[in-house]
Amino acid sequence: MTNRRDFLHGAAAGLLGAATVSRVGAASLPEAAIQTSPTMQPPLQPTSGRPYNPVVTLNGWTLPWRMKNGWKEFHLVAEPVVREIAPGMKANLWGYNGQSPGPTIECVEGDKVRIFVTNKLPEHTTVHWHGILLPNGMDGVGGLNQPQIKPGKTFVYEFEMTKSGTFMYHPHADEMTQMAMGMMGFLVVHPKNPAFMRVDRDYVFLINAYDIDPGSYTPRVNTMTDFNLWTWNSRAFPGIDTLVARTNERVRIRIGNLTMTNHPIHLHGVDFEVTCTDGGWVPKSARWPEVTTDVAVGQMRAIEFVANRPGDWAFHCHKSHHTMNAMGHDVPNMIGVDHRGIVEKIQKLVPDYMVMGERGMADMGEMEMPLPDNTLPMMTGMGQFGPIEMGGMFTTFKVRDNQKTGDYKDPGPYQYPKGTVAYEWTGELAEPTRAPAPAADEKTVTVIKPNGHSGH
Amino acid sequence: MMPLHFKRLGLAGALLMVLAACASSNPAGSIDAVSQLTQAQTGMPLRLVSDAEGQAARQAAVRELLAKPVDAAAAVKLAMLNNRSVQISLAGLGVAQAELAQAGRIENPTFSFARVRSGDEVEYERAFKIDLLGVLFIPWRQGMASQQLDRAKLQAASDITRLALDTRKAWVNAVATRQSEQYLADVNEAAEASAMLAKRMLEAGNFSRLAYTREQAYYADASAQLARARQASVVAREALTRLLGLSGQEAAALVLPERLPDLPVAPKPFAGSVQAAVSLRHDLQMARFELDALARSLGLSRATRLVNALEVSYLRSDSNEGHRARGYELELQIPLFDWGDAKVARAEAIYLGAVNKAADIGIRAESELRSSYHGYRTHYDLARHYRDQVVPLRKAIAEENVLRYNGMLIGVFELLADAREQVGSVNAYLAALKAFWEADADLEMAITAGSPPAAGSMELAASPTPAAAGH
Ligand SMILES: [Cu+2]
Repeated sequence: MTNRRDFLHGAAAGLLGAATVSRVGAASLPEAAIQTSPTMQPPLQPTSGRPYNPVVTLNGWTLPWRMKNGWKEFHLVAEPVVREIAPGMKANLWGYNGQSPGPTIECVEGDKVRIFVTNKLPEHTTVHWHGILLPNGMDGVGGLNQPQIKPGKTFVYEFEMTKSGTFMYHPHADEMTQMAMGMMGFLVVHPKNPAFMRVDRDYVFLINAYDIDPGSYTPRVNTMTDFNLWTWNSRAFPGIDTLVARTNERVRIRIGNLTMTNHPIHLHGVDFEVTCTDGGWVPKSARWPEVTTDVAVGQMRAIEFVANRPGDWAFHCHKSHHTMNAMGHDVPNMIGVDHRGIVEKIQKLVPDYMVMGERGMADMGEMEMPLPDNTLPMMTGMGQFGPIEMGGMFTTFKVRDNQKTGDYKDPGPYQYPKGTVAYEWTGELAEPTRAPAPAADEKTVTVIKPNGHSGH
Repeated sequence: MMPLHFKRLGLAGALLMVLAACASSNPAGSIDAVSQLTQAQTGMPLRLVSDAEGQAARQAAVRELLAKPVDAAAAVKLAMLNNRSVQISLAGLGVAQAELAQAGRIENPTFSFARVRSGDEVEYERAFKIDLLGVLFIPWRQGMASQQLDRAKLQAASDITRLALDTRKAWVNAVATRQSEQYLADVNEAAEASAMLAKRMLEAGNFSRLAYTREQAYYADASAQLARARQASVVAREALTRLLGLSGQEAAALVLPERLPDLPVAPKPFAGSVQAAVSLRHDLQMARFELDALARSLGLSRATRLVNALEVSYLRSDSNEGHRARGYELELQIPLFDWGDAKVARAEAIYLGAVNKAADIGIRAESELRSSYHGYRTHYDLARHYRDQVVPLRKAIAEENVLRYNGMLIGVFELLADAREQVGSVNAYLAALKAFWEADADLEMAITAGSPPAAGSMELAASPTPAAAGH
């Protein structure tokens, strides 16, 4: 945990009322801890208040608190931040306490919480506690439930956590802009009984999306559907932390969706059940096994399973555009187009021109070509067998026999037992008998890999 | 009678010998004078070709100049050697020179012998006659012819300077249109690449007929533009060929450089132009000279103010930017006389007419200098702006677009459309550079030969060429 510091960034800094919280006032506030490292911090074990089993936030951390007269006190600071989306790309975002998303808030069913919110943004804000049942005046809808928190001001939210479950917080003031800039955070209320719904590892993350023009740093906030960066906790592959488990551990992954579209989240190697939504725990009788669960806009889902198969398992959104980084949606499809005799002509005018996409787009995963500043390759990543050709909402879930309990470090590539990897056939190859292909005529529709549509 | 006769002859003979010594009919001196007046613009001495030897020398010089790519200076030399109007001007000097020589000559004396027989008496009468009146008028006739020769020299210098500067402009135009044609050929090739690719996209099933047809239409337009550029290039080259006086094989042998010379490091200052104009501008010199001559011939000698020179006044300091400076004034000071005598009213009228004409020339010259300099400086700044701003910006855009293409953020058709725009910006720079070199020649004309063509209506640097219109 680093000390509180003024986070000055860019032009916005001049607008921030860093000095508006007086020292006297600040002394009575709980410490507003800050975290700027984008790597996953170990779970924050509770040292005061009711006991619980803490969660782990992908590429994030949990906000420390203090107990005061029976109240659990937190301090959120809304402010501009710089977030590394993945190595090689940074974004100018808004967030809380040094990061977007903000820190995860953890508390326990029955806790009385007091949350101080200091606004260091250039405009007013509020915080809405998504899914929490609380007094109407604490619900955080600007204008409707409270006056907005002006820049430099600090507001206090006080309520009791009446039920355990999976929740999130986000602004409800200039909401579109502030969420497009990355303002959101996870909120977990643990059951009073730590044995209830107990798991060995409990991961949390929010799904978010940005539209950052390649070569620039700041999201375009008015984008409605055509986002080009699909992120988990404001990180894109290969920047998303690996999830790990020891073989046969029970694992929960809690996911919240604050983008403008649904995401079918798919985990390889296990069957899982949705055990919790933002509405509460799902009764056993209402669960069913799945390998993909769709997380709709504004929804939260917690999936649970026993990690019983060692290996490196892919974990990703099943919308294939969402496992890509920025790309042009109007780029024409070059598959099967003969470039002979044309390349030289083009190179006369554009000397650095190279043919791409003539065979497909896999070249992109292998070639390292100079790109605009601050731009991630559309597909990238290298695995032990070759290019992984992914981007966006993709990471791996690693199960190991020897992963220590409570150890969240990436164990490296899986060592496959001999004879357990798909292999190339090197024996005789008889030409298979095939039906003759119909001859193409002018009415033939050539079916090709879809490309160039807009939207997702 | 005889002694008288011979006495007269002796007087006339002496006069004749004096006159013959100062007026030759050989125009070499006048040609040298014109050569000197035009040297700065032509870069070479002028020769009247009057025999086979001179003709051979001229042909050899032309061949030598044509052996290498012809730059602007070589083009002017070729015009001086080859353009018949130069020879016509020089021959005109010969005529004026011969007339001057003629004016100094006394009409041939007549010797007559008569034998008259009257009855037995035979009388011999010998007479030696000289046109005495003619002899008395020799200085006056000579003065007129000498004025005529001076006028002819200035006229020749002016015509030849104009030819030199017109040649320079024609050269600039020929090189620039050729260069422009090559850029449009590049654009055309990019359009062709797009069209070929579109055709293969259609064949592979990846392009609709609409997308394909758009690329073909663009290519078709680009080809039409190229044809027009080719035509302009041929017309410009032929215009230059005519000024260079080239025919047949010589015309075919003419090779022009690939590109226009770059901008000078710094523009000429306005003050320098004005100072040069005072000593060089032919119409000013002629006006001054005619006033002098008129004053002399009208017997006007008591001038109240006789500052018969052109002066430059410094009015205001020149700014750094300089090109809007009005700091210099070109002044034609005109002597005025005390007339006094009513007898010379006619002379006064003639003289005042000439005074006003001279004043008018002075005003015109001054304004033309300001206007030409402004054109010169504007085109200098524009060309520099295109070179240092527009073209580098376009280039940077093109480079960024290659990076976007690499990232599959844009496709090859967008890349090519952008490349065409980049070529368009280079072409626009070329147009600005061409306009600058033309303005440079026009300014020089305003300094030397007289009024530049269409002073004040110079075309501003070209808008981006049609190539810039993406699709
Ligand atoms: Cu998705």
